[in-house]
Amino acid sequence: MTKKPDLSVTFCGKKFVNPFMLSSSPVSNSAKMIERAFEAGWGGVAYKTVVTDRVPIIHPSPRMHPYNYGAQRLAGLQNVEQTTDRGLQPNLKDIAYLKKKWPDRVVMASIMGFANQEWADLAKACTDAGADMLELNFSCPHMTVEGSGCKVGQADDLVEKFTATVRNVTKLPLVAKMTPNLADMNEPAMAAKRGGADAISAINTVKGMSEIGLDDFVPKPNVFGKGAISGYSGPAIKPIGLRFIAEMAANKKLNLPLSGMGGVETWVDALEYILAGATTVQVTTGIIHYGYRMVGDMIEGLSDYMVQKNVKHVSELVGKAIPYLHETGEFDVKRQGISQYDMDRCVGCGQCYLVCRDAGGEALEWDSKKRRPKLNDDKCLSCMICSFVCPVSGLITYKEMPADWKRKETVTLG
Amino acid sequence: MSHTEELEKMEPGFGLDEAVAEAQRCLLCHDAPCSKACPAGTDPGAFIRKLRLRNLTGAIRTIRENNILGGSCGVLCPASRLCEKECSATGIDRPVRIAKLQRFLIEHAWKTGFKVLEKPAGPAKDKVAVVGAGPAGLSCAAELARRGYRVTVFEAPPEPGGVLRYGVPAFRLNAEFLNKDLAELETLGVDFKFSAPLEGLGAVERLLDDHKAVFIAIGAWKPLRLNAHQKEIKGLFTSVEFLAALRQGSEETLFAGKFSEAAKAVRGKTCAVIGGGSVAMDCARSALKLGAKDVYVLYRRSYSQMPAEEDEKQAAMNEGAHFLLLNQPVDYIADKDGHLKGIKLVRTQLGGKDPSGRRKPVEIRESGWTLEAQCAIEAIGNAPDDKARKLYPSIAVNKGGLILADEKHGRTTGRGVFAGGDIVRGPDLVVRAVRDGKTAAAAIADYLEKKRVKQIITRKPGTVPFTGEQSER
Repeated sequence: MTKKPDLSVTFCGKKFVNPFMLSSSPVSNSAKMIERAFEAGWGGVAYKTVVTDRVPIIHPSPRMHPYNYGAQRLAGLQNVEQTTDRGLQPNLKDIAYLKKKWPDRVVMASIMGFANQEWADLAKACTDAGADMLELNFSCPHMTVEGSGCKVGQADDLVEKFTATVRNVTKLPLVAKMTPNLADMNEPAMAAKRGGADAISAINTVKGMSEIGLDDFVPKPNVFGKGAISGYSGPAIKPIGLRFIAEMAANKKLNLPLSGMGGVETWVDALEYILAGATTVQVTTGIIHYGYRMVGDMIEGLSDYMVQKNVKHVSELVGKAIPYLHETGEFDVKRQGISQYDMDRCVGCGQCYLVCRDAGGEALEWDSKKRRPKLNDDKCLSCMICSFVCPVSGLITYKEMPADWKRKETVTLG
Repeated sequence: MSHTEELEKMEPGFGLDEAVAEAQRCLLCHDAPCSKACPAGTDPGAFIRKLRLRNLTGAIRTIRENNILGGSCGVLCPASRLCEKECSATGIDRPVRIAKLQRFLIEHAWKTGFKVLEKPAGPAKDKVAVVGAGPAGLSCAAELARRGYRVTVFEAPPEPGGVLRYGVPAFRLNAEFLNKDLAELETLGVDFKFSAPLEGLGAVERLLDDHKAVFIAIGAWKPLRLNAHQKEIKGLFTSVEFLAALRQGSEETLFAGKFSEAAKAVRGKTCAVIGGGSVAMDCARSALKLGAKDVYVLYRRSYSQMPAEEDEKQAAMNEGAHFLLLNQPVDYIADKDGHLKGIKLVRTQLGGKDPSGRRKPVEIRESGWTLEAQCAIEAIGNAPDDKARKLYPSIAVNKGGLILADEKHGRTTGRGVFAGGDIVRGPDLVVRAVRDGKTAAAAIADYLEKKRVKQIITRKPGTVPFTGEQSER
């Protein structure tokens, strides 16, 4: 690599040295921690949501639970995290400190009120503290009071009202953070736009219940005998996050910049969010798994990709996937294909045979002496599940068949 | 760690997370080749899949129902040339560590208190006597008990296990591990007569007076010697007495009091272990752990011809043993008090192939030299005890004293008398003894249910299977 590409992006008029941000969560709890993240290379931070001191926040203990898939740790993360449990003043001081010490990094203060006045007060306080922009938390899944957290995000009128309230008291860019716990994110996003939001960030955590204790029947995390439906994050939710970002990016009426998050661990995940329409990308669960250092790999990976693809600016990549996004009914089903096997590399495990027999087109025969599968081309459904279980990467690939090729019909019994 | 602790300490097995990670490497083969490679009929394809699908109890059941010595086989089995040799993952990088996963599942059962075997309901069936509580006897007893037979095991030593307790060093299989592995036998209601050696002419045949069938599994405990007429030399041991002496756990053990004698002979001394099999490696490693100054493994052939497993050879060398290959020990030198002070060796080179297909060591003329050593342990193979023969005079044996029994059923030439394990095979793998016990149990059940009246063996096993060098187990 000869030259390091420019990873900077402009989001809501603010320049970011790179698109990678800490999202509002335990990873952005204090200036001391965030400073270490900036040192590691993060371009900006969504500061852990601040609230007024009216209701003291005490966190349940324990507050998180990992969802492991086999030996893979943290395929998902369940949490009952609340907003900041620090006082408003210490947080404002930290925000001011960060802005002074790290002028080239973007500090977005996340706020959440429980009533109009609180939204206004918090917005003013954070503006005065020097925050670059505000993220309006309409999406925390753990708020029990009506008119707060994701209950706001699910009620378009509240989204519009509170956004408008904040709009009235500050000139800072406003980013409305959305909950995925709804059918269509474009509706609350449009409401936020009507209220004066400059951008949308998504997704907050997906409401979920990842595990239940088999001895005590308590959903996890087990908070002294009680569980809850709570926020689920991590790699498992990336497809959901990408979906919502893409749907908003494809909505020409919305036409707002997007900050994407949900399951980002690698530069590939981040790039996918960018291709789906995000300008900045936020991370928490990845940091819970790997620490702030992960941003180094995101920067290096994205840089090398851009050099290889001759991309000069990240902005060229934003929303690149949207023109290729269609309704499933629009597919050209005249074109068909089958799987093909590079048998020289087969190790003879027979998993392809098993899954094709039980979940595919029953298109494989098994030579038990040689321990090798044999494909009946005309029965292959091209579902490709054989390739999903094959332990040899690239052994099974997809091949398009000629236009006159016909697949055999499924056998009917009786 | 003290020398004794080092002798007792087994390598740690997998924890749950490591086991899950290793199981994730399994290709979950259709018609799994590993499952066809176990002499004892273990089905790793099934138990690893069960582990993958979080069916740990089912995985444990798969192992335990098949093999009463699942834990012991998990630690002792040379899996790299059995199940793991067939593993399809080898085509990707390396085999799944099947034996270690088996050990994990059995240890997990102990940890969680999960028991598999139950005493069968229904009226007790015929009485069967099992002679010997080694791997073959124990697996036969367990299998018969599971089928509802009343089984009595006659065992000369005070505790069960045979070679598992007295023939392998504790760092490979210690008493605590073995005792846990054997605990489920009690659940099955097997009756043990310990410290009950059979004695007298025809003692085995006499068991038929009040038992309907007998299974002979007394192993092969007579050490082969370099020099058949060896005079007593202080510091010279056979592998049988050396290894047994180290199993000092209980005061009641067969060789009680011998530990200090063996330890004294080894500590700070130069020791020579003669032989190239697994037992030789066990002796060499034991001597090193006991505090020997230097341990030489003397072997008359080349490294690749050593019958020991590669990982055992590596372990011995890593722990400090010096391999002196292509050297044939010919005699011992003792001082005037009868203490060993050296071993006369002749260098060899490899000549043409011998009947085993290996190149034969040929002594090089005038190449004799002397290795100074104060201790020597001969580990060149075992044969049946000379005294065993008179216990069953009516049963046919071969020239080497091995009982003639058919491979498929363990039937001997005596009606109602079956045999298996090392007394039939000569020194061989534990897992094959387990297999013999199981197949004989099935044959005994068939015989007692008169499904198969014909009892006399139809096919004689091959010639004497030990060559004087084999020291496998």
